[in-house]
Amino acid sequence: MFRAAVKGVFANKMRLTLTALAIVIGVAFVASSFVFTDTISARFDALLETTATGVDVFVRPAPPETGDTFQNTEFGSIPEETLDTVLAAPGVRIAEGGVAGFAQLVDKQGDAIGGQGPPTLGYSWSVESSMSPVGIKDGNGRGPEVAGEVAIDANSATKNDLAVGDTITVLTIGAPEEFEIVGIASFGESDSLAGATLAMFELREAQRLFDLEGQFSAISVAAEPGVTPEELAANIATTTNGDIEVVTAEQSNEEQSDAISEGLGFLNTALLAFAAVAVFVGAFIISNTFRIIVAQRTKELALFRAVGATGRQVTWLVILEALIVGLIGSIIGIGVGVLLAMGLAALMNAAGFNMPEGPLTVLPRTVIVGMAVGLIVTMVSALLPARKAARVPPVAAMNEEAARTPRRSLQVRAIWGTIILALGLVALFMGLFGSTDQDLWYVGIGSLVFFVGISVLAPLAASPIAAVIGWPLPRLFGVAGRLAQDNTMRKPRRTASTASALMIGIALVVFVAVFGASIKSSIAESVTDTLPADFTAQSTNFAIGVGPTFTEEVSALPEIGDLSGLKLGNASVEGEDTALVAVDPTTVESVTNFEVSDGAYEALGATNGILVAETLMEDKGWVVGDSISIVFPQDPGGAIEIVGTVNSADFGNYVISETTYAIGFSNPTDFFVFANRADGVDLEVARAAIDGVADAYPNVKVQNKSELIAETEAQIDQMLALFTGLLLLAIIIAVLGITNTLALSIIERTREIGLLRAVGMVQRQVRRMIRWEAVIIALFGAIMGVGVGLFLGWAVVRALADQGLGSFAIPVSQIVVLVLLAAVAGVIAAIYPSWKASRMNVLAAIAYE
Amino acid sequence: MLETMPSSDIAARIRNGTKIYGQGDAEIHALDGISADFQRGYFTAIMGPSGSGKSTLLHTLAGLDDLTSGEVYIGETGLGTLKDRDLTILRREKVGFVFQAFNLIPTLNAKENILLPLSIAGAKPDPEWFDQVVEAVGLSDRLDHRPSELSGGQQQRVAAARALVSKPEIVFADEPSGNLDSVASGELLDFMRRAVREFDQTIVIVTHDPVAASYADRIVFLDDGDIVDEMVDPTPGSILDQMKHLGA
Repeated sequence: MFRAAVKGVFANKMRLTLTALAIVIGVAFVASSFVFTDTISARFDALLETTATGVDVFVRPAPPETGDTFQNTEFGSIPEETLDTVLAAPGVRIAEGGVAGFAQLVDKQGDAIGGQGPPTLGYSWSVESSMSPVGIKDGNGRGPEVAGEVAIDANSATKNDLAVGDTITVLTIGAPEEFEIVGIASFGESDSLAGATLAMFELREAQRLFDLEGQFSAISVAAEPGVTPEELAANIATTTNGDIEVVTAEQSNEEQSDAISEGLGFLNTALLAFAAVAVFVGAFIISNTFRIIVAQRTKELALFRAVGATGRQVTWLVILEALIVGLIGSIIGIGVGVLLAMGLAALMNAAGFNMPEGPLTVLPRTVIVGMAVGLIVTMVSALLPARKAARVPPVAAMNEEAARTPRRSLQVRAIWGTIILALGLVALFMGLFGSTDQDLWYVGIGSLVFFVGISVLAPLAASPIAAVIGWPLPRLFGVAGRLAQDNTMRKPRRTASTASALMIGIALVVFVAVFGASIKSSIAESVTDTLPADFTAQSTNFAIGVGPTFTEEVSALPEIGDLSGLKLGNASVEGEDTALVAVDPTTVESVTNFEVSDGAYEALGATNGILVAETLMEDKGWVVGDSISIVFPQDPGGAIEIVGTVNSADFGNYVISETTYAIGFSNPTDFFVFANRADGVDLEVARAAIDGVADAYPNVKVQNKSELIAETEAQIDQMLALFTGLLLLAIIIAVLGITNTLALSIIERTREIGLLRAVGMVQRQVRRMIRWEAVIIALFGAIMGVGVGLFLGWAVVRALADQGLGSFAIPVSQIVVLVLLAAVAGVIAAIYPSWKASRMNVLAAIAYE
Repeated sequence: MLETMPSSDIAARIRNGTKIYGQGDAEIHALDGISADFQRGYFTAIMGPSGSGKSTLLHTLAGLDDLTSGEVYIGETGLGTLKDRDLTILRREKVGFVFQAFNLIPTLNAKENILLPLSIAGAKPDPEWFDQVVEAVGLSDRLDHRPSELSGGQQQRVAAARALVSKPEIVFADEPSGNLDSVASGELLDFMRRAVREFDQTIVIVTHDPVAASYADRIVFLDDGDIVDEMVDPTPGSILDQMKHLGA
């Protein structure tokens, strides 16, 4: 049996290649996700080890009670006096305090360096070089010693042509200032720490710049010989008190490593989600391929039965073949996955995230999961065709008629399809509109089952839809067009399952497009409705907002009238980590139109209470006047009173006043600054005035309403492009599926094509016939996909209606382009099969066996 | 004698046709320097034992296969120099085919199958001629049936009608009655003979069945890739005698 299976697999190399390719792509995606994240993780760990310093223990502020996941801007601090206490602790050899903060470099052209990717960090320069991870090599200058001096990282220096002696502008939360570069620093042998830009100042200067006078961000401690880090940490912990934490360097490294892993875990999950789509689509192709193979080899399988093989053995024969194909595909897939991971790493480097150097990490887990996915998916996909193979009666070897297995009635299919579809819909809607804890799982599994249901029902629609799509063909291309149309209609099941793979890919792309269009339209609407301000200022740096000095300068302009800032922060409300919005209750109404309950802003200003979104109030059963618990990063908080409500479509879920914010958060920057021109001032004049201020702040951008909308849309488009790009892989697999089905169909129709050639069909007409058959299948898949994608998009947008997704929009032109692309994909899919068909040896095709 | 015959009376001819398959020890001379003429308005049968080259002869005459050396003419056109496209168009316009099995496109009905060569060419059928052919094969009431709804004999008659509908120079049939019972076989061959007699068509069939061959005006006996004998106005009995004589 095994030998027969091996021979069966290698008998048709093209079929093997195409089927295996579907597996390769899915497995490669899975493997690359793991290899990529493992590699980065391992390289960072290695980097952390090599940059290990003489530090044994860190003394730092107790961590905020809330995980600060939204913005890494909440740097805590400890009083300088703590250093004296630490130094007094037994076993301390050296201790040095330092500060960290936000600092962004400005290049010679006056543009801010970085900010859209790796962090832009500022530190105080460590005089105890034995405890510092950064160092300055000979010839690269020295560390900053007095105010007005800065040392920058070597990577930033090289990339921006900066050298010792140059004057550089550095942006902090205060006003931009100029410094002289006195040193170019590296991390051991590395020029860069994952692409982060670094500016290091003398301690007092740094404290001033980061608004941390009299404070340290952390104290590094080295132990006396013979004292272990643990002992040292314990000694320090007993002698100090207050909101501080003492950890060993090892613990600190582990935390950093864990933080990196956690961040990568998200990336891994996202990549694996796309891998799952690729695998799911691949499963359709594999299943379809094996179904066709079984149908074509009926006689051969019957011969096996006739010479004594049991039905079970025939089933195993098919499954073994699947296993062999799966094995080959998985092995190649893992190899391709490793290459893909290397490509991803190169891409990240190109995007400015300098990956530490190091080998690729291929863990056994990666190989095991990759192989398991490839093998299981192939085997499961081949299971139904394999069972069907067992039902081939031995007599089919001799008798053509007996070879035709009875078709199950369409009613049965319709019933099953409807049941599956309904189950998928129920799960989907439970996830979207129900209140389960596992929303995402319900939506994911629901969509999956929904897709299966559609594909079960698709054969019922295949003939009528193909008839409609193919209608112009006979009129345009005569008999070649007519036959193309007929061929798609004669095996509706095959046409449908081939198209189903494409349907899934297209449906997901359409879904993403609809979702994106709806977000864009909602944002445009809410910006127009709720943000009537003439100008909006935002920071171009992901990590930090607009500093207070900018806001003050703009506010002082005579051309500018009303002005109000909006801050964002993360806090823990009722034990849940959540985002807060902070506004100035006295001015917010002059530049925004957010819907709040009567007197909400007045109450907010008077009581330091909190406003809560109406929908959340309903969900939680809160009423105005209730107190809820809150913990801020910089303050233990306590109970806070709900003093009003906001419409969540416009705002976040919670709103506090700036005064309350100042207690709970250290980051003084605004996420948005809204400003109106003063009465009687021209827009252009006001714009020129505000731009005049912004010129000195290269990381602040000022936009009018339409610019704000356009930019937000452009950002969404970027995200959409990324998603669509990844989903394109699923479409590529689906196109491979069309190629595979057609190539197999052509083998089946050898005689027919031979006959057509004999009675006078030229090669071009044969190619045209196959090509249009592919186009009809592709369009059928595309039309189903558009329908399903629109439906899913509509359902999700409706489900998120109370979370700010107010309008449902259909990106018509995008969808039309997509359908046209599907048709082109059909043409591409047909290149090989049509070439093969047209080159068929007429004589061999018509020869009677 | 062959050289003096006016070529316009010849629908197809082969000159010094040699066809070699394989190489070295495995070399097989399927046709071995054969020359033959097929006269217009005649029904010719090619007979011979298995491996005698009769199918190869038919295929090379019909432009489905090429010769290793020698030349084939359909009417005045030599096939040797034709490219695939021209050869295909020549088959479409000048040659009709009936194969032993699988003659029809399953998705097309009888009428569409009959008109297939014309549809491929994008040409309009001659309605009178079409009716005449359909009438003669007795398929007038079966025209909208799919091949799966027709009997084997009916299917072969549809194929014969298709072969004739474009008024070709010559029709080639490879064991056209090979899969049919004697009644259906008789009907088909009878139609072929009528097509030659009444409509002045030219048909060449390959067969090993003396009864089928007896419908022909002339029989060409082949062995080892060359003509070994000919017979005019045969009967099944005379054919059998001749076959025995040839040791086939």
